[in-house]
Amino acid sequence: MNNSSASLVLAVHLAVLSSISFGGFPTVLPDVHNFAVAKGWVTDEEFANFFAVSQVMPGPNMILMMSFVGLKVGGIPGAVASALATFGPACAMYYLSYRLWDRFRDMPWQRIVRRGLAPLTIGLVIAGGYVMARSAAVGWQSVAITAAAVALMLGTRLHPLWILTAGGVLGGLGLL
Amino acid sequence: MLHRPESSGSGYRVPLSALFIGFLKVSLCGFGGGLVWARRVVVEQRQWMDEQEFAETLTLCQLMPGPNIVGITVCVGAKLRGAIGAVSAVAGFILPPWTIGLAIGSVVLQYAEIAVLRNVLGGLSASAAGLLIGTGLRLLAPHRSRRTALLFAGLAFAGMAFTRLPLTMVLLALAPISIAVAGIESARAR
Repeated sequence: MNNSSASLVLAVHLAVLSSISFGGFPTVLPDVHNFAVAKGWVTDEEFANFFAVSQVMPGPNMILMMSFVGLKVGGIPGAVASALATFGPACAMYYLSYRLWDRFRDMPWQRIVRRGLAPLTIGLVIAGGYVMARSAAVGWQSVAITAAAVALMLGTRLHPLWILTAGGVLGGLGLL
Repeated sequence: MLHRPESSGSGYRVPLSALFIGFLKVSLCGFGGGLVWARRVVVEQRQWMDEQEFAETLTLCQLMPGPNIVGITVCVGAKLRGAIGAVSAVAGFILPPWTIGLAIGSVVLQYAEIAVLRNVLGGLSASAAGLLIGTGLRLLAPHRSRRTALLFAGLAFAGMAFTRLPLTMVLLALAPISIAVAGIESARAR
């Protein structure tokens, strides 16, 4: 498969995921991970690196992360295609639904759908974190860093950037 | 205050550049917690929406697929200037940070083989994964008392974490059942 058709396959896959990414793009991380690794486009480690770099950048992290996958697969055009596929379909749906919102307001079924989808979304977010932790795990030390980040996130009001920085510094000191 | 920008018939039109710059700000400030900044800019600083409307918009965005914060960007842009407003707001939110991020990021990734950088990236991704898990657990907290919610969260987790099933399949299998259960529960509660 050449680069441009691989980019296209990736973009179509991302566009489908974008249309079903209830709860945001972190919920589709495991799917993208399995898909891209199975195709041999990226390794586990590269995927984890993309995640790491995109998380420390300001702005829309997941769009950036998918662009790194696209960049690897098909250069700059691949990166652009991935970015468009990641936010395009979702944006179109947001726009249309905003226009219809008044009609749906206060409908009881809307509350029920929300109640039904919420737990699934949450499970998927946690699965996204779990799969990324598995990719990042090179030993008990990295598992410990992940566990510590979870604990700090739950137990303190520390800004997430401090937790990320601490993880990066511990890694840089060669403790992993 | 001289003018209070509103979409409703006041005749004042928010310039497209204001939408672009407003959401660029949300994007650049939003390390980790973009929602905080979206509210600050949209409600407090620019007064494009009031609290109530912002909260309702957020609910709509949570109901829809895609990155919620991008959804708010689309909705605010659409409210103020229609389709072209939505495009301007999204462009401000995504384009500049994306370009910078891709440029810096691809350089960093090229040197990912250097031992120190590799270690830093390893530590970063381990802690970023932890933050994601922590965010999920925090979101789960309000559902603690609903046993069926915990069950479905667990099933969705297991479906993605331990099988190689595509997300479409997991969602198509679980969503109808989960919504049906929520429907039955709310019918009983009445």
